[in-house]
Amino acid sequence: MNNFIDYKLIELGQWTVGLFNDYPVVQILVHLLLATLPLTLVFMGAFGFSTWLERKGLARIQNRLGPNRVGIFGLLQPLADGIKMLLKEDIVPDRSDKLFHFLAPVMLMVPAFIAVGFLPLGDGLMALPMDSAILFFFAVGSLNTIAVFMAGWSSRNKYSLLGGMRAVAQMISYEIPLVLSAVAVIMFSGSLNAQEIVASQQIQSWLASGNLVKEFFGQILGWHIFKPWGFAGFIFFFVAALAEANRSPFDLPEADSEIIAGHLTEYSGFKYAIFFMAEYISAFAIAGIATTLFLGGWSGPVIAGLPWFIIKMFSLFAVMIWIRGTLPRLRVDQLMGYAWKFLLPLAILNIFVAGFYYFAEQQFGSLAAFIGGWVIGFGILQTAAKGLSRLNKSPTLDGKRVYQLVE
Amino acid sequence: MTVAFYIMAAIAVLGAVMAIALRNVVHAVFSVLLFFSALAGLFILLLAEFIAVVQVLVYIGSVGILMLFAIMLTTKVTGDPTRKLLSRGWAWGGLVSGALLLAFLVPLITQSKSESNSQLSNFNPSVKDLGLTLMDPYFASVGVIALLLTAGLIAAVVAASSASGE
Amino acid sequence: MEITLNHYLILSAVLFTIGLIGALTRRHIIIMLVCLEIMLNAANLNLIAFWHFGPNPILLHGPLFTLFTIAIAATEAALGLALVLAIYRHFKTVDLEQVQDLKE
Repeated sequence: MNNFIDYKLIELGQWTVGLFNDYPVVQILVHLLLATLPLTLVFMGAFGFSTWLERKGLARIQNRLGPNRVGIFGLLQPLADGIKMLLKEDIVPDRSDKLFHFLAPVMLMVPAFIAVGFLPLGDGLMALPMDSAILFFFAVGSLNTIAVFMAGWSSRNKYSLLGGMRAVAQMISYEIPLVLSAVAVIMFSGSLNAQEIVASQQIQSWLASGNLVKEFFGQILGWHIFKPWGFAGFIFFFVAALAEANRSPFDLPEADSEIIAGHLTEYSGFKYAIFFMAEYISAFAIAGIATTLFLGGWSGPVIAGLPWFIIKMFSLFAVMIWIRGTLPRLRVDQLMGYAWKFLLPLAILNIFVAGFYYFAEQQFGSLAAFIGGWVIGFGILQTAAKGLSRLNKSPTLDGKRVYQLVE
Repeated sequence: MTVAFYIMAAIAVLGAVMAIALRNVVHAVFSVLLFFSALAGLFILLLAEFIAVVQVLVYIGSVGILMLFAIMLTTKVTGDPTRKLLSRGWAWGGLVSGALLLAFLVPLITQSKSESNSQLSNFNPSVKDLGLTLMDPYFASVGVIALLLTAGLIAAVVAASSASGE
Repeated sequence: MEITLNHYLILSAVLFTIGLIGALTRRHIIIMLVCLEIMLNAANLNLIAFWHFGPNPILLHGPLFTLFTIAIAATEAALGLALVLAIYRHFKTVDLEQVQDLKE
């Protein structure tokens, strides 16, 4: 019953590969295509859909209608946008570094698609089944920084360069809390293998019990987000992920009211579209890895597998859109201070809490550890967060605000 | 395997040569990033998967970016070449390096037999093995490295910030 | 032709020499740091190659040693670049030939 969609897909894949048994070379090619092509197509489609979702959602938040002319509910709007982008002239600034100006979008898109390949979309559904997939994911994710810098520097435009430098500073700062909050999960699961991390979030004894109610909850209650350190870790991870993906409220690199469009200023036409797509794909990838690490990956009741993964990933993406519609953009100094003085110490503390939780579970059983963890562990984290925010309070905001009016 | 080795080796040598030969500093740093990634490929060929990942994370993700940052904070941001490329004693430097290369290469090329069969075929090192080894016999070294990294971090902050205080 | 240990050693020697040439002949301070990194990486390649073709790879000495080297190299790069900033702020140049004074 469970995972039947995954198994059907794998069967379909094996059947297709089996068709080419007589031609080994073709077979390898088909195998590679089957691993990569559906992933690429599906995520490109998801990109188109999510641009529509974002515009529509933002419009509703801002009391507008959003795109509603092309197709029913404006659903064909992404297609129209794509055609428009393709037909636009590709303008390259005269004094720009032509080679790097061309390479930057490619350098951004390739790691984004590779990162998607490390996501465990379902039981056995992984384009790049590596033993240390999580590690590879973060390594590939760190390549984004180079591409953004390339784009900013090669444009020979001060706004581009400012945006590029901002992006680099932001991405290398937020990568540390991102990885550290993932470390807690990796430590708890004892593995870097994405499938094993998903398996560690299912209560195996309940799944095997044959009791329907237990089977239902065994797919849910083991998720790391229900544990105190997992909940805190998920929040740290998600905040850092927003910054890594340059999403609002951390979209300073392309803050249009300050520096036009940051590193994208000198890009037009198709290259701009590629940038746009790469950013959405990496946002998907990071939402997917957050799903894998904290939200139980593909596990879920009744239709475990691909459907649950897609639902969770899109829900996280919808939260990103919601945040974009709600929160204002941060200042640069607030951004850096938040990463180094708030998220980083808390993420390190969270690792300790996870370690104590692990031993408490072995000593006193999972229920006692669960209750004690929420009371003591979460209390420690909350106290630390409050203390840190008091320490970090900027002195100018104390007391009454003084407004200087122009006379 | 053979073809992959030659491709990676060619990219590595190309990247290294470009890094020392290009006049534009930013281009030089980008070509050294090419060199780093070629080395990561070579590490994968040598079955050191974890080292390859660390290479990408540390060298490309952090050291390269740090270098670019340092360039942006020092010279003209376009990375335009300085007036003079070579140092005064460049001929001596080249001579010494060339002699050293000969000293390296002559025994390697003249030596006829060489180890070619790897013992690794029946043993695939996983990250877990590496972590366990790191924690059991090498625990003290890990502590020393951690201390060194912390000291380095603090020293870097002090060195960079005392300069800005002037 | 099969790839042997010698291939890796020759490659590593060539890379090391390229780094050395750069460090001895260029005068830009950041390029010199880049060259140091090239030399360290060439040494790492040697370590991993010896481990791969060595008699006892199960002990994992090569990767462990390389891991430590990489950690030290990262510290060195961070510290070196901080010093570059300090030197630049003081002497207003990145040309090492002009950084000659010990005092002031």
